[in-house]
Amino acid sequence: MSVGAPGLLAQEERYERDFSAGVARSPWQLFWRRLRSDRVAMVALGVIVVLVLVALLAPLVVKLAGAPGPNVQDRNATDMFGAPIGPTGDHWFGVDPLGRDVFARTVYGARVSLLVGIVGTGIAVLVGVTVGLVAGYYRGWVDTLLSRLVDVVLSFPVLLLGIGIASACSLGNGCVSGVITPGVRTVILVIALVTWTSIARVVRGQVLSLREREFVVAARSLGASNRRIVVREILPNLTAPLIVYSSLLLPQTILLEAALSFLGVGVSPPTASWGWMIADASDNFDTQWWYMVFPGAALLLTVLAFNLLGDGLRDALDPRAER
Amino acid sequence: MPRPVKRALPLLALCTAVLALGACGSSNNDGGAAATVDNGSGGQRGGTLTLLTSQDIQSLDPGITYGSLDLNLLSSAVRTLYAYAPDNPTDIQPDLAASAPQVSPDGKTLTVRIRSGVKFGPPVNREVTSRDVKYAIERGFNPHVANPYASTYYGDVVGADRATGGPIAGIKTPDNQTIVFELTRPTASLLAQATVLPLSAPVPPEYAKPLDAKSPSTYGNHLVSSGPYMISADRDGDVLGNGYVPGRSLRLVRNPNWSAATDDRPAYLNEVDFRIGGSPTVSGRQVLAGDGLVLGDSPTPALVKKAYQTARDQIFFSPGAGSRYAALNTAIPPFDDANLRKAVSAALDREQMRRIRGGEIVGEIASHFLYPGVLGFEEGGGQDGTGADFLENPQGDRALAERYMRAAGYADGRYTGDETLQIVGLAGAPDSNDAQIVDQTLQDLGFKTQLKLVDVSVMYGRFCGVPRARVHVCPNLGWIRDFADPQTVLNPAFNGNFIFPENNPNWPQLNDPAINRAMARGELTVGDQARADAWGAIDRQVTATGAAIPWLWDRQPNVFSADVRCVPELWNQGHCDFAYTSLK
Amino acid sequence: MAAYVLRRVLWGLVLLVLVSLLTFVVFYVLPSADPAQLRAGRNASPATLAQIRDSLGLDRPLTAQYWTFLSQVAFHANLGYSYFSQAPVGSLLVDRLPATISLTLGAIVIWVLVAVPLGVVAATRRGTWVDKLTTGGALLGISAPVYWLGLVALYLFADDIGIWPLFPGAGSYVPFTDDPWQWFTSLILPWIVLASTFTAVYARLLRGNMIEVLSEDYVRTARAKGLSERRVVWRHGLRAAVTPLVTLAGLDIGLLLGGAVLTETVFGIPGIGRLNYEAIVHADYPVIQGTVLLAACFVIVANIAVDVAYAYLDPRVRTA
Repeated sequence: MSVGAPGLLAQEERYERDFSAGVARSPWQLFWRRLRSDRVAMVALGVIVVLVLVALLAPLVVKLAGAPGPNVQDRNATDMFGAPIGPTGDHWFGVDPLGRDVFARTVYGARVSLLVGIVGTGIAVLVGVTVGLVAGYYRGWVDTLLSRLVDVVLSFPVLLLGIGIASACSLGNGCVSGVITPGVRTVILVIALVTWTSIARVVRGQVLSLREREFVVAARSLGASNRRIVVREILPNLTAPLIVYSSLLLPQTILLEAALSFLGVGVSPPTASWGWMIADASDNFDTQWWYMVFPGAALLLTVLAFNLLGDGLRDALDPRAER
Repeated sequence: MPRPVKRALPLLALCTAVLALGACGSSNNDGGAAATVDNGSGGQRGGTLTLLTSQDIQSLDPGITYGSLDLNLLSSAVRTLYAYAPDNPTDIQPDLAASAPQVSPDGKTLTVRIRSGVKFGPPVNREVTSRDVKYAIERGFNPHVANPYASTYYGDVVGADRATGGPIAGIKTPDNQTIVFELTRPTASLLAQATVLPLSAPVPPEYAKPLDAKSPSTYGNHLVSSGPYMISADRDGDVLGNGYVPGRSLRLVRNPNWSAATDDRPAYLNEVDFRIGGSPTVSGRQVLAGDGLVLGDSPTPALVKKAYQTARDQIFFSPGAGSRYAALNTAIPPFDDANLRKAVSAALDREQMRRIRGGEIVGEIASHFLYPGVLGFEEGGGQDGTGADFLENPQGDRALAERYMRAAGYADGRYTGDETLQIVGLAGAPDSNDAQIVDQTLQDLGFKTQLKLVDVSVMYGRFCGVPRARVHVCPNLGWIRDFADPQTVLNPAFNGNFIFPENNPNWPQLNDPAINRAMARGELTVGDQARADAWGAIDRQVTATGAAIPWLWDRQPNVFSADVRCVPELWNQGHCDFAYTSLK
Repeated sequence: MAAYVLRRVLWGLVLLVLVSLLTFVVFYVLPSADPAQLRAGRNASPATLAQIRDSLGLDRPLTAQYWTFLSQVAFHANLGYSYFSQAPVGSLLVDRLPATISLTLGAIVIWVLVAVPLGVVAATRRGTWVDKLTTGGALLGISAPVYWLGLVALYLFADDIGIWPLFPGAGSYVPFTDDPWQWFTSLILPWIVLASTFTAVYARLLRGNMIEVLSEDYVRTARAKGLSERRVVWRHGLRAAVTPLVTLAGLDIGLLLGGAVLTETVFGIPGIGRLNYEAIVHADYPVIQGTVLLAACFVIVANIAVDVAYAYLDPRVRTA
């Protein structure tokens, strides 16, 4: 299925329209003032800051909570049939079947989610912007070729492509001659591979219209080189839509990572990942609900915070903000 | 999420010239899970049994199939020359055969008489003859069929070494009721045992030959029954889309041509339906609560607990259902060092590995490789183990582990080398959890590790069975015997002559000349006690190398609904035998 | 117009070939398990393996294998046979398709029935609690992972394990032809779960579009002419606001028909997504290829349909 595909397609459509007016010329101070007055977005931003801090300081957080490390297997935390105990004073979120503390694993899971989300989105944006710029600016056969490539990737079922590449790269010592090792790197590669197309399409559309605008035409007639035009004139005008678009892509990549891990082709254990934890819990969630609920709630909270912030960014950058 | 074939301990057995003996020393202190085995007599006729399974059938072709669930299915649809009664996993009984096998004095000729009056199901509808058995075995060598064990078990038949599907000179059918195997070596009694596997089930050549000409053969989708049940099919015998929808369902109905006079089995049920593809968790709950259901999968630990606590008569723990161990690669560093291997053994908490599978009720903690019910178990150390100190404490012994680490030259008791260990285990709980216990133990000892969890086929086919994959540790390996003879358990698994570039069964790649020599002698040893002594001693030798860490002797749990009178196949992990099971 | 459609269809066919090539590269050149070994079982000798490779054609050059596949599909409509069951891939697809279609169609009905009124009401009553609830709920719906939502739904409402046992749980799906009532009830939870994300996305988009449309001149004109507010909103406003979404929905439906792997997994529905996922786990390459091609087909057809519809509405597109 489409992890976020409905969202992506729809949002893409929407932002193509929203930014055709050329938002970037509004001053950044104005943007910041608008954003600050958006209480929901600020709360979301606060949550994200806390999440990032928790991820960065995971060992400290776990220690402060008095929990064992994420991979400590407590043989006394399961009963004689191997059933794990639920939330207690010692284990706030209960333990998993291996006797590992679910709180500690949920905290450490934030690391994977945020790392994959941020780096994966970053690579996707980089690739997408490059392809979109080249296609939109040079047009002609380059555009045709790149757009067709985008078509091919888009007509592939995203998740299936992801599963295929992930399982292929997880064998042996990885792919791309060992650069992509199994685990987090593979997941990042997969995510970048299946998401760059949407960015490329947005950027191409923007560039197509920007390159006909007066200031670009003027620069060209003054004899500016292509590179100069792209870097100095067009790219700055893409900043605003890119900020908004990546902030909305980011939660989608987090969901995609979790989905891949849920299907067993993502980050490999013992590394704590929310998707993997949910999958592992799905066998016994009727009797061991805590193992499914907490990582799922953490995932929901993270994705929600990014979506809210993305909304806030869009509203703040869009002069026609509807608040 | 991926769910590995939970039952998939590989079936693998190489045989010897001696008929296996009764189970020795099958322990009775089995955590209160003892269940008396029901032989099913006096059951009620009629009704439909429904089997729920997450895994599909691998193949319906008796010339191909080898999985546990497939054997369960085929045992009531086709008749092999000999078979095991459900309650006796050690002595073969005549099935299609009319009497006990006749072995010539020199051990090189096996003669089997076949019952008269056994008829093929539709659309063939004629009496089974010895030529149908001959063809069944010959087609096993046809590349379009490519039976996995034909050359292992039937390799000594004269002419089998060059066989590619055509007639084999060493299989003779002097009349419709007699089949004679002529062998190059004195292994006839062994061959008689091998006929319990489905390759010896009759295949009508006139019907199957056109199907076998296809690559691969499609006979499995046109399986012709010779047993009490058949897979429901259309008029041409095509089961595909009729009685069998891959990944969805399978339907066994009565074979109209089966006659109770030619069979010892009661065949109470009218029909057996397979519902394929549900999750074991959901199916397990449905089985416990529902009517007329059995679970084809291994129940999850949570379900075992529930059944054990609330529905004791709906769960059966099948003893002698195999053994599990973790292999350490002795061919490459660091585990070419025996002290390091023993350190890992000593540190491993095998009790916890069992507990995450459901605790004491699902098996005994293993301390050597011949498991309860296999000849030589007592001689190999029995319940008490071989006396190897590094396997003494089932909860693991850190102090001892550190002593072995120091003996290996790591002064502070922790490993300090910088290579990353490749560990390949099975995806899906509880196997993945067992793998993670091994992984964590290694990390605690200072090793850097990289754990991969994969499907069972990938684990064996790409990693653990392929030496050049250079996997250091395989924690989820398992063995099931086809025969109760100890050689089938130890010889392929630890004999240095069985290290192959692919499909390698000697997972730790142990190549110890003394053990190889002892095995060569053990193969030729004759007489039950002598074999038990010889192989028990080899078991101790192998255990002492620390090449593999035995951690569980399985008692396989099987669950069924309250109204199902399940007759478990003790030879096949305790699946309910459809030809004996009835509904209350 | 005909030329435009033809061009799109031809390009669609080229796309399919390219997708099949990509599938071939990803899943076959880098397979996760050796099909011959899968087929042979654990005990096979190297000679047996070689025989199987030969009989499956696995030892032929890759280009030849790909060409064989392509020509079989193109000239004989033959998608090959599963390495596992030897069943024709075509019949496997036909067998699994009804479940996926059932799941998709039901979800669409729910998402349209819920998203449209919600979006409109939220847009016309901006700032009220209805609006806040809708936008908030929509964000939650977008943010929740569908498999987790499915598990929670089962935990709460499934009749075998749920706290409130209201609906049949996982693995209860039966084909419509077997038992229409059970078919319906077994799909209620999956429909709701699958529809939740889409409902959320579309309600949000519709709200945004509606707000924009309602501030357009012609709407104001309509109001000025004295038309009732209800008529303005539901006749004039909605039509304009929904049109751009219809094309998006078309693409999403195409995507969904290719198999909802996660939803099918959680609820144990034997659909195309499940089939594909199982095939990947087993390295059953012919089935992988078949399911991916089918999914790509749906996406491409949806794309063409959407574009053609657009071209029909807006003649300028045809020459673009």
